[in-house]
Amino acid sequence: MEGGSLPLPSTDATRDATLTVAIQELHFNFGRHRVLQGVELTLGPGDCGALFGANGSGKSTLLGILATRYRPRRGRYLLDGREVTPDLGHWARSQLLFIGHATHLYGHLTPLENLRFFADLRGLRPTDRTLAETVAQVGLGAFARRPVRGFSAGMRKRLALSRVLLARPALLLLDEPYSALDGPGVEWLNGLLRDYLIGGGTLVMASHDPGRVAALPHRPFQLREGRLQAGPAAGGEGC
Amino acid sequence: MLRAAWRIAWKDVVGDFRRRATLSSMLFFAIAVLVVFQAAFEPDRQEATRLLPGLLWVTVLFTSLVGLGRVFQAEEEDGALEGLLLSPMPRGVLFLGKWWGNLTLTILVELMLVPLLMVLFNVNLWQRMPLIYGILLLGSLGLTGLGVLLAALTQGARSRETLLALLLLPLMVPLLIAGVQATGGILNGGEAGPWLRLMIIFDVVYLALAPWAFGWLMEE
Repeated sequence: MEGGSLPLPSTDATRDATLTVAIQELHFNFGRHRVLQGVELTLGPGDCGALFGANGSGKSTLLGILATRYRPRRGRYLLDGREVTPDLGHWARSQLLFIGHATHLYGHLTPLENLRFFADLRGLRPTDRTLAETVAQVGLGAFARRPVRGFSAGMRKRLALSRVLLARPALLLLDEPYSALDGPGVEWLNGLLRDYLIGGGTLVMASHDPGRVAALPHRPFQLREGRLQAGPAAGGEGC
Repeated sequence: MLRAAWRIAWKDVVGDFRRRATLSSMLFFAIAVLVVFQAAFEPDRQEATRLLPGLLWVTVLFTSLVGLGRVFQAEEEDGALEGLLLSPMPRGVLFLGKWWGNLTLTILVELMLVPLLMVLFNVNLWQRMPLIYGILLLGSLGLTGLGVLLAALTQGARSRETLLALLLLPLMVPLLIAGVQATGGILNGGEAGPWLRLMIIFDVVYLALAPWAFGWLMEE
């Protein structure tokens, strides 16, 4: 089962709020394995930080920390100047959206039901029409009432990414967002992310594909041996 | 926030009806247990009335274990548990949703279990059914509340269903004894009040601690 070609997203994806992300002297380890050592990063509204690095270099772990999935062992993680402690976890999670390798979709639910589930868990109140339009915007309108179980990986990815349109988070965290997407899907996603950044959103993504990230204004970072270094440019327009 | 909990419960119950997974397994298990008991004891009507509280609660306990073993099954799919944990809802709300879903399925099984028990054991207790259901509800609140918490604790373990039973059974003993005694009191004319109060105390303790403990368990 494969969806049709994707329309470009509408440009009304403006943020409800914007924020600054800062991590300072951040360390993280899994047991004795040191994953991140003294990582520093600051991104403001409209910034896109693109993390590159070899497998196991710590890109997903860094995104996991930003998503509040992991707690830093040392160092500080600040959102809008407020240190993200366990007490502020709910607030931090209400400001951000993380879309990783897993799509967090339930196979027995339809796309509309999955989005309704997602909306209720974020305290959003979209109308049925908004949900239907969101599903249509990612090219899955014809499959809106079919269980997600039979969807291809690309269709699941599109549906997962449609949450960006619904939630309009101030901070968007994407782990390998281009995986499983076909050519039109990549074009659509870059259009969505460009609008997201223009609207003042802050984006951090991990990718192995500098060529596709190049279509976005971004600041490239390399993770090597647990340390984050700016550049080299991935060949696209840096900012 | 309650809307989020309701949505999680809805997702679990609807999912179960669509997959025909937990509810059907619980029901078949309950029928199998009752048929085996009936064939083993072949009790007359008076003896059946005496045995009924124990049979009822043993069946409810074993049937619940079947359901509790699958509470987090849907969350294993495509990182769904991570999706729940990354939502801005407090962990206690996530617990409420999972608990309500499991409680609903358990109550549905119990609704069918009591008439089945009466037919299989040929006892006429139809007039006392509302009271029996009331006691079952009291017992199920604590049983499913503690059960969902322990299911969360064991969901990453390799032999999680065994571990769940090992942890749940000792902790459920006081509530089970109270349930059996209260049911016996109602069926055989004994005193049920103190046992009902004991059940309420256990329910309150389990359900007050479980959401907090769930939040603690689900941290990194």
